[in-house]
Amino acid sequence: MNAPAAIEVRGLARAFGEVRAVDGVDFAIREGELYGLVGADGAGKTTTVRLLAGLLDPDGGEARVLGLDPRDPRVREQVGLMPQQYSLYGDLSVGENLHFFGRLFCIPRAEYRRRVDRLLAITRLGPFLDRRASALSGGMYKKLALAAALLHEPRVLLLDEPTNGVDPVSRRELWELLYEFVGEGMAVLVCTPYMDEAERCHRVGMMNAGRILDEGAPAELVARFPHETFTVEGGAGELDAAARARLHPVLEAAPEVVAASPAGPTLRVVVRRGAAGALAGRLAPLGARLAPTRPEFEDLYLARMAAGGAA
Amino acid sequence: MSAALVRLQRLLIRVGALAEKETWHLVRDPRALIMGLGVPVVLLLLFGFGVRFDIADIPLVVVDYEQSARSRDLVRAFSANGEFDLVGELADAEAVEPAFRRGRAAIGLVIPPDFSDRLARGEPSPVQLLVDGADATSARQAMGKAEVMAQAAALRFVGAGDLAQAPPVDPHSWIRFNPTSASALYLVPGLTGLILAMMGVMLTALAVAREWEWGSMEQLFATPVGRLEIVLGKLLPYLVLAVLQVLLVLAVGAWVFEVPVRGSLPLLALSSLLFMASMLGQGLLISVVARNQMLASQVATVSSMLPTMLLSGFLFPIENMPWPLRAAAAVVPGRYYITTLRGVLLRGNGFAELWDQQVPLLAFTLAMVLLSTARFKRRLA
Repeated sequence: MNAPAAIEVRGLARAFGEVRAVDGVDFAIREGELYGLVGADGAGKTTTVRLLAGLLDPDGGEARVLGLDPRDPRVREQVGLMPQQYSLYGDLSVGENLHFFGRLFCIPRAEYRRRVDRLLAITRLGPFLDRRASALSGGMYKKLALAAALLHEPRVLLLDEPTNGVDPVSRRELWELLYEFVGEGMAVLVCTPYMDEAERCHRVGMMNAGRILDEGAPAELVARFPHETFTVEGGAGELDAAARARLHPVLEAAPEVVAASPAGPTLRVVVRRGAAGALAGRLAPLGARLAPTRPEFEDLYLARMAAGGAA
Repeated sequence: MSAALVRLQRLLIRVGALAEKETWHLVRDPRALIMGLGVPVVLLLLFGFGVRFDIADIPLVVVDYEQSARSRDLVRAFSANGEFDLVGELADAEAVEPAFRRGRAAIGLVIPPDFSDRLARGEPSPVQLLVDGADATSARQAMGKAEVMAQAAALRFVGAGDLAQAPPVDPHSWIRFNPTSASALYLVPGLTGLILAMMGVMLTALAVAREWEWGSMEQLFATPVGRLEIVLGKLLPYLVLAVLQVLLVLAVGAWVFEVPVRGSLPLLALSSLLFMASMLGQGLLISVVARNQMLASQVATVSSMLPTMLLSGFLFPIENMPWPLRAAAAVVPGRYYITTLRGVLLRGNGFAELWDQQVPLLAFTLAMVLLSTARFKRRLA
């Protein structure tokens, strides 16, 4: 908590017409911290990132990046952005894209070589230097975009769904890259819809409808979780499709259930603490039983969503 | 190094990077090159051969009520030199109008039954000319030609001796610079201006809009690159392409339409450069505001074609326009370029006569670059 805040956001808001995409958001990210903004599509993550990159004007509140307004040109030298959609030049090769952005940041030639060699080595894009960006796989494209965002060695890195459309192996590689840079003192903001990724962050803000519903270290949030999590099993353990279809509406209607969702061959339920017995009683005549399981981040999120929806 | 020098150096590096990147886009997407270099030539050929103000082979029908040697002589005079094409003889003057309606004829010559008798008596001998006025330009020309021919024939019939009928003043016209009044010589400079205007505006109109559509604007805006740098980086590579365009179009004009270059080549080069820069600048402004290629290309076509066609003096003399149109014409770059082209190509003019036409071109270019930069919002929404 003693490291200075690289990003500080207070009451930040931005609407598009009637839609309040970001509706009063507060958070702070320290140097050397990996902060995750978790939420479904339309939660306001991309708008938050664009506000922090100085690409949008806020309607209310304020954002400070390295102590400056994000729209201040001096900030751009220090901030790296990896947008969600394809934003490099598909008709330029990997090398040409990197060279172009290197020149926009006016990186001296020798320094540029040193950085590109390192980035190509850790992203393992070296062999694809002459391949056009449009011909890269999803994972390689994301690694190129990350390399382009890191070329100028920013102190703050904004990543908007960096692993969207990336295979699991490349995804793990991307996260390992991020840890490496965070270890060097970079402040990183990652937006993601994936709960398993949120658990990789130092701290997480759960975002919905333009607001941050809850915030904290993933383990902390799980420990604070006021509910219990179970999987619903049949006689032989797993449920067949028909049983899942039959049981899901029953769970959704049960007053003890906070949230229910399909999880592979079973159903996953978040149950109010102490109400598991009552729910088990409901399920027994239907040939299903509850098996306790460790709460995961997704349970938190779904529970928060359900609570938010009811409120 | 001082801070200003560092800033200038960085501006040059970034503009260079953008210009190089833009060149890659051009080279890798042959459609843009084909549009930039092929279309102007095709347009010039199409318009050059297609648009003609001098009309030949006007379809003529004759109603000869006299059927004498004299009357046939008059008909022959009309059809002999290629101006009129005798498509048929009708028995009745009433049949001429239906012939116009079917598009069979555009002019009718009606010779009355007493044509030769009146000539023999030394009386004026009227013949009737019926002209299809639906196409006013053709009608006026056809009428003019028919009158000249009728008078020439009449003089032969009466004999040169009848001096009483000779007009007191007999002007002998000599048309300089375009002795045969060939359409091509008059049209090609104007067409060159029009085509280059359309192509120039289109080239850059797509350039910035494309970045919005690609989504690359988001990444570009996240870098320290400035708006003026983006505008200049987009302008420069297209200026090179535009200069190639000018050379190609002028070469086609010279070879195919035999349009000479009689005046100052350096002036032609300078004026072409300024004009293309002004048109590229206009395209950039459209691009910056429109944000998508479809809209940008439509605005580009309309905003380049209409003013250059109507208010540049290409088709209609500006001096005869009411003052609001004259005022509007004052800010049409094509006007100054076409004036320069006609001067340099046909009249053999140089800087002495035409320097004042270059000043507005330069002013327009600067205005477009500054406006584009000012209107360029560094925001995604």
